[in-house]
Amino acid sequence: MKDQPQRNTRRDFFARTSDGILGAALTHMLCHDFFGGTSALAAEPTLAKPATQYNLQPKQPHHAAKATSVIHLFMNGGPSQMDLFDPKPVLNRMDGKPYPGNVEEIGNSNNSAIGVMMGGRFKFARHGDSGMWMADVLPHTAKMCDEICLINSMWTDHPNHDNALYKIHSGRLFMGYPTFGAWSVYGLGSENQNLPAYVVLNDPLGPPKNGTRNWTSGFLPPIFQGTRFRPSGSPILNLKPQYEQPSAVTESARGLLNQLDEIHLKDRPHYPELDARIKTYSLAARMQMSAGEALDLTRENQRTLSMYGVGEKWTDSFGRRCLLARRLVERGVRFVQIFLEEQPWDSHADLAANHRGACQRTDKPVAGLLRDLQQRGLLDSTLVIWGGEFGRTPTTQKSVDGFSGRDHNMQAFTSWMAGGGIKGGTTYGTTDDFGHKAVGNPVSVHDFHATILHLLGLHHQKLFFERSGLEERLTGFEPPRVVKEILS
Amino acid sequence: MNSYCSTILFLVGILSSMLNQASHANDELPVFESDIQPILAKKCGKCHGAKVRKGDLDLSSITGLHRGGESGEAAIEKSVDESPLWIMIDGGDMPPEGEPRLTSKEIARIRRWIETGAKSENPSATAKKINQHDVLPIMLLRCVTCHGPQLREGELDLRTRAAMQKGGKSGPAFVAADPDASLMIQRVETEACPPRELLLKFFVRRPSSTEVEVLRNWIAAGAPEGDVTMDVATSESDPLVSDDERRHWAFQPPKAATDAQSIDDFIRKKLIANDLSFAVEADRDILIRRAYFDLVGMPPPVEEWKKWRSSEQPNWYRAMIDHLLASPHYGERWGRYWLDVAGYADSEGGVSADPIRQVAWKYRDYVIRAFNEDKPYDRFLLEQIAGDELLDYANAEVVTDEMVENLVATGFLRMGIDETGSRTMNFVPERLGVISDAIKVLGSGVMGLTLECARCHSHKYDPIPHRDYYRFKAIFQGAYDEHDWLTFKNRSLDVATTERRRRVAEINPPLTKHLKQLESRWKQAVAAMQMETLRQHYPAQSEADRVETLRALSIADNNRTQPQRILVEKLQRADVVADSQQPATVLEARLAIQVIEFDILQVRRQMEPPLAIRALWDRGEPSPTYILRRGEYDKPGRLVGPDVPSVLTNGRTPFNATPPFAGKTGRRLAFARWLTEPDHPLTARMIVNRIWYHHFGTGLVKSLENFGVKGDRPSHPQLLDWLAIELIDRGWSIKEMHRLIMNSRTYRQSSRITDERQQVDSQNRLLSHMQLRRMNAESLRDSLLFVSGKLDDRQGGPPDGVSVDRDGMVTANSTADGGWRRSIYLQYRRTEIPTMMDTFDYPEMGPNCIARNVSTVSPQSLMLMNNRHVRELAIAFAARVDELIIDPNNDDHGARVELVCQLALSRMPSDRELRLGIEILIEMELAWKGDRSAALESYCHTILNSAAFLYID
Repeated sequence: MKDQPQRNTRRDFFARTSDGILGAALTHMLCHDFFGGTSALAAEPTLAKPATQYNLQPKQPHHAAKATSVIHLFMNGGPSQMDLFDPKPVLNRMDGKPYPGNVEEIGNSNNSAIGVMMGGRFKFARHGDSGMWMADVLPHTAKMCDEICLINSMWTDHPNHDNALYKIHSGRLFMGYPTFGAWSVYGLGSENQNLPAYVVLNDPLGPPKNGTRNWTSGFLPPIFQGTRFRPSGSPILNLKPQYEQPSAVTESARGLLNQLDEIHLKDRPHYPELDARIKTYSLAARMQMSAGEALDLTRENQRTLSMYGVGEKWTDSFGRRCLLARRLVERGVRFVQIFLEEQPWDSHADLAANHRGACQRTDKPVAGLLRDLQQRGLLDSTLVIWGGEFGRTPTTQKSVDGFSGRDHNMQAFTSWMAGGGIKGGTTYGTTDDFGHKAVGNPVSVHDFHATILHLLGLHHQKLFFERSGLEERLTGFEPPRVVKEILS
Repeated sequence: MNSYCSTILFLVGILSSMLNQASHANDELPVFESDIQPILAKKCGKCHGAKVRKGDLDLSSITGLHRGGESGEAAIEKSVDESPLWIMIDGGDMPPEGEPRLTSKEIARIRRWIETGAKSENPSATAKKINQHDVLPIMLLRCVTCHGPQLREGELDLRTRAAMQKGGKSGPAFVAADPDASLMIQRVETEACPPRELLLKFFVRRPSSTEVEVLRNWIAAGAPEGDVTMDVATSESDPLVSDDERRHWAFQPPKAATDAQSIDDFIRKKLIANDLSFAVEADRDILIRRAYFDLVGMPPPVEEWKKWRSSEQPNWYRAMIDHLLASPHYGERWGRYWLDVAGYADSEGGVSADPIRQVAWKYRDYVIRAFNEDKPYDRFLLEQIAGDELLDYANAEVVTDEMVENLVATGFLRMGIDETGSRTMNFVPERLGVISDAIKVLGSGVMGLTLECARCHSHKYDPIPHRDYYRFKAIFQGAYDEHDWLTFKNRSLDVATTERRRRVAEINPPLTKHLKQLESRWKQAVAAMQMETLRQHYPAQSEADRVETLRALSIADNNRTQPQRILVEKLQRADVVADSQQPATVLEARLAIQVIEFDILQVRRQMEPPLAIRALWDRGEPSPTYILRRGEYDKPGRLVGPDVPSVLTNGRTPFNATPPFAGKTGRRLAFARWLTEPDHPLTARMIVNRIWYHHFGTGLVKSLENFGVKGDRPSHPQLLDWLAIELIDRGWSIKEMHRLIMNSRTYRQSSRITDERQQVDSQNRLLSHMQLRRMNAESLRDSLLFVSGKLDDRQGGPPDGVSVDRDGMVTANSTADGGWRRSIYLQYRRTEIPTMMDTFDYPEMGPNCIARNVSTVSPQSLMLMNNRHVRELAIAFAARVDELIIDPNNDDHGARVELVCQLALSRMPSDRELRLGIEILIEMELAWKGDRSAALESYCHTILNSAAFLYID
């Protein structure tokens, strides 16, 4: 951030222009002519609350930041740790045998459907200089493993999707709490005032489970909530007029509106919200232009597109969103989250085929994103997070066509991080012989969040919001632990 | 945990080196009574004695030490380092700062005493005696679902010791002093009970090994029955809350002022003290618009505006206020504020399916009616909190409207998130969540206390002991019993008048039949559309695969096989192709579905609403209430009885709940009556402060939900008290409060802020001017509809549905006449909040909303500028203007500009605005190639985007 200006030149350039040179000129003209000289770099609007004003201007972190942007690749449904990242020879040897302990320990919602032990479905190999284990369904990600830190000892508090999703995003098991993306932009604002600070890219096939609650600002002011770019068509709701009107009329209308609002404002001194509101109209205008440019993937060359798998049948959709995420963080957007539809990793049946399918859709784009960020010098300052809301059980589960999938497991799962401030090539934490329970260096969701905040230059204790006289924090009351061992 | 630290106190740090220096002065083993008790009495006794028991800890006797504080752990344990008493002393947390410290000698003495086994002259007092209340909470959690009030499997009831001894078909549940021979131990240990297949059905978990141990110990000790009474207030003074703590301003009844007799007196006095006076009075147009928005939430109809502005009656203003208070739209505006307090929602929330609440709207209508009828606020609370205990509806020969109304009112405490009807989320913790939401609504919305803070430990700031939360919870135990639970699916009452029953029986059956047919046609149409989509997009696909795709859709997505997933995904991909690229046959098939959906809607509208009432009612047989240590459901503590927070009483008045009629405990009724007593310190203050907030944008107490120690102090304490007393003197009439406030000079001030006022009163805490306010989401949408002539002002009934488009935009469906009803009548499903409402800060109810945020963000601008629906309203607005102009060929642009201004802003344009408007109309007409109507539409649209429209002076 402020202490690392040399890293940000590229980001600065995009952050301060909205459409290259032409765009800058256009923005200037638009903002000057239609919005009474308000600068193109004007403040993002603030709340009209008399006492506290909130905005998305960049803010000083608590300590020097390692990462200035986050891309969160959310793997809804719960990928299987023992099939992808955490090989379990003991479990493999027990394939087909009954679970040796009390089945209630497995923690499934329905004990009667518990089947037998199931060994890993895929072949594992060691990769890279670090010798990191990864399954053969992730060939592209495996090539980037020296950038990646696997956390094999994640655990959470609830075996249901709904609650585990609330937990992984907001640190609480229930709805209504701000997500860590919202906390991040609340704490840091954004480097780009022409685009939303917290962007959500979801799947054209549909919203993830829990919908918009995955990126809510909860009790934080709503300017900190994630702005969902529409997955197809116009990416921002109402970004373009949904009616026809000659551009000359639009210009007249903008001119009139600005003059009326300036008259209104001049008559009413000391109401900052009126000024803020005029600025929202100019940001809206800037967004109409810069969002269009930021979202325009035709500006990428073929080599880059191929790296992400854009244009290929299975990877096109996810690849586009990964590429878009890069374009956004490049322009100073603080926080980008990518979701898949509903919960494709949730493999109660046919785990091998389901996981192979989910990997097929995501592996190449994810690796492409890491490589592209690295080549552009952005990986050092961008934290990439990959993972779901929980893991899967070592035992099978009865389903329509027999026993071929795994149930939810809150006691262990794998997430990984890469980039800004992360010690690449690290495998952190261990699970028991079945990959069932985190045993070595367990990482709670609060620890996970505290670590992310730490990398962003925020201290989990100092980042709070006062509500009903209480200080609310992302990481709750009990002090969490920043996982220092995985930091570079 | 913080809770722990806060409860067992804090102390000054002493270094261990000092300890080492302290020699064992007396080599004899220290004994509590002679060696330790005097130290504790001197240094700790002020807060932890028999009379004053901070954190529920009594250090005056060895029994008290072993009993420990509210966390439930004894103050001394086998080893020094595990003893909370020692940890607090050694860590320097206790005694707290400012109190006399323990000397190093005393500290050494205490350490040695614990090290040597914590001897006492009365060793028998140290052993905690096990009794039935250690066992009954375990029964409640693990067993009574099958052996309790609802079911008596094996004729066994496990709710009391006597019933356990009596046993069931197989004999007594226990054999005193012989755990191994006791049936209950055998059953539990062999896991015969609770039966595995019933665990999920009844949402029960097996007892933990510690719990089984407790059962064994109790039986081994001979299954002793202790003489335990419920912990409730007695005529003795309360050891946990001191009279000193009761002195906080908000815990004292409002005091009548002696030197001021009107709102203006109080405000003026403070202004003068700051060398200020009232701001100039706002001009008439502004007063009219302000009053309309404040009372009905919409601009005045143009005729009414003209009437008031030209009235020569000296009392025109007062007459206008009366006119507005009599409007049925008043209840829609002010009822909505109350629905925020209650946390109104049309769905249960908590799980992704977010099930719809079919009849929540009856409560919404009740609230609107109550405001329109000016139901006295005390009665309003009484009905909402204890409507079921007012009249005996269950045994009445004739059910009256009043009985129904009372029950509908109790929907108030049923508005929180309730996931307990779901397949996996109906365990005791989730049920406790529902109860906690109800308590939070009461605390934040009615009592001004952050009661929920005392759920896990004593309140950190306010004198609300942990105990008081559970006493308060016991008030609701008759209705909300986590050990005898009704889920949202079966927690409703079919109580109705004879007339209503007759109508339902007569009208609904044929319509229901018709509806079933339509629904089956709808299913066919959807299948046909899906088949057509597949055929058009994948002509090469086999018919078998298409059929398989449709079959896969009926399987839960996570149970689909991989081939099924691929098939479904193919359909989804085809489905999300833009409309413009969809084959005509697919669009036709979609249209066919819409036609059926419209028919379904029409039939639904004709149906008589169901009899069901979403009520909260006392079921007469509450389980005992135990304190839950640290708020954890499986850590029961002391048995408590129903009571209100001690700090709001003198602490020496027992709570008196008597059944009003058979089958009710009368607990909530007693609570509601206590809450609405005229000298209650919070009830009247809270509501007048809320009314003030809605009129001025800020409360006299800024923290609307917290009048406690950490809440804000009132800016004008005497005024707050005066208003509270006025409210009660005027029969708790809320409309009278509007009259008092709106007729004041304070309210009639201009909202302009001069530099001087800004300097002296930057936060407007002196009320040196009126506050400019932005319309809330409802007001904005209602005003857009009203101005454009598209408002359908029919009231009440089931909510109007919404449509979610492929981009996630949620839009309200129009009514049969092509208009839209006021926003309060939309469906508020938690996961489908209408986008326009959401964009303009409609809140997430968690569980309620005390004060909405006012954000100013660009999606709002985008919505008003670019949204198709807003544009359509602008077009309707323009058409209305042209209609009123009468002669459309009249090219008097000035007349149009004036009319637009009158309709939208309730004033005449300034000269500059007029000139600007005319110029722009000409300019736009040119750009529209001479299309005058189109130019007017664009102009109207701009005005609807203007700050002058959105803000109220």
